[in-house]
Amino acid sequence: MRNEIILKVYRFDPTSGKPPTYKRYSVPITERETVLDALLYVKEHQDATLSLRFSCRMAVCGSCGMLIDGLPRLACYTQISELDTDEIEVRPMSNYPIVRDLVVDMSGFFEKHRSVMPWLIRRDVREQNQPTKQYLQSDEQLLEYLQFSYCIKCGLCYAACPVVTAMDEFLGPQALAQLYRYIRDSRDEGATERLKSAGEFNGVWRCHFAGSCSQVCPKGVDPALAIQLLRRRTLFMK
Amino acid sequence: MRERTLMIMHYLTGLGILVSGTIHVYVVFLTVPANLTAWESTLSFDGFQFAILPVYRNLALALSLEILLICTTYHGLNGLRIILYELFQGRSARTYVKYALFAIGALLLIYGTRTIIIAHSIGGP
Repeated sequence: MRNEIILKVYRFDPTSGKPPTYKRYSVPITERETVLDALLYVKEHQDATLSLRFSCRMAVCGSCGMLIDGLPRLACYTQISELDTDEIEVRPMSNYPIVRDLVVDMSGFFEKHRSVMPWLIRRDVREQNQPTKQYLQSDEQLLEYLQFSYCIKCGLCYAACPVVTAMDEFLGPQALAQLYRYIRDSRDEGATERLKSAGEFNGVWRCHFAGSCSQVCPKGVDPALAIQLLRRRTLFMK
Repeated sequence: MRERTLMIMHYLTGLGILVSGTIHVYVVFLTVPANLTAWESTLSFDGFQFAILPVYRNLALALSLEILLICTTYHGLNGLRIILYELFQGRSARTYVKYALFAIGALLLIYGTRTIIIAHSIGGP
């Protein structure tokens, strides 16, 4: 068991005009400490200027996504001991503009998420705006989309996706998985509209099926599977 | 044309290549002259002129070759379009790519169809 590790942290302030650098911090660690704990130790005791985003500290809010030793992970969900190294490299997530240090601008990500209409659509507009009842569904109907509803919008899948790297317009794994989630929801009546948008230029056809989105998801969601299933539905429009 | 339609055609032409390509390879294999290997027969003048070319006197086989030509042209160029769209992004770049590939496809189809028609009408010595 190590007592200390080196954190190699990416530091960058776009407003300063200086190029990005890496700074090394020596951090004492205890058993079961996470990368987020170590970063917060640095911020509290060594360098208060270090910028990072976090909130719940238990893999629920999805705020602390970053590249840890080259892989997109949640800092609060990554134990230092599991990395099994003396030096941990921490960088901001790729495929996002950097705001500062480890903080990235996720507005584009949320814009794409919003574009797939991540809410229940009802044909009756009045019912849509002022629901008069609960929409019940069976356990089997819930299981149709349950795994895709576990998404916490952390954005790690976008950071891992090679198509998002190459093509800004691609809707990306998170938005497409959510699109599929709502199509499979028995309470939703907007499948035709959703399938049309999935079949557009920036939709399901652009996926190369690298599968890295599913590999990095901390909640076990499988966006690559959702995209493949969505392709079939887009082909037959049902 | 909508992306969905283009991709449906991509899948259908892929199947078309599988069927018509199999017919093409099988027919060429059946007509290999006894003194040549299959590969040599497709390349040598004698093999081509005396064995393979007469096969396309048959209208059905000439049509299957035309189908193979159409399918490979569309499937190949659509695959290229997908790659180029990632390399050259933006609406105007996409328009250029689309029209350039359309022109290349038209040329390939015209030249290939002309060759098939000649093979069908001449059909060897």
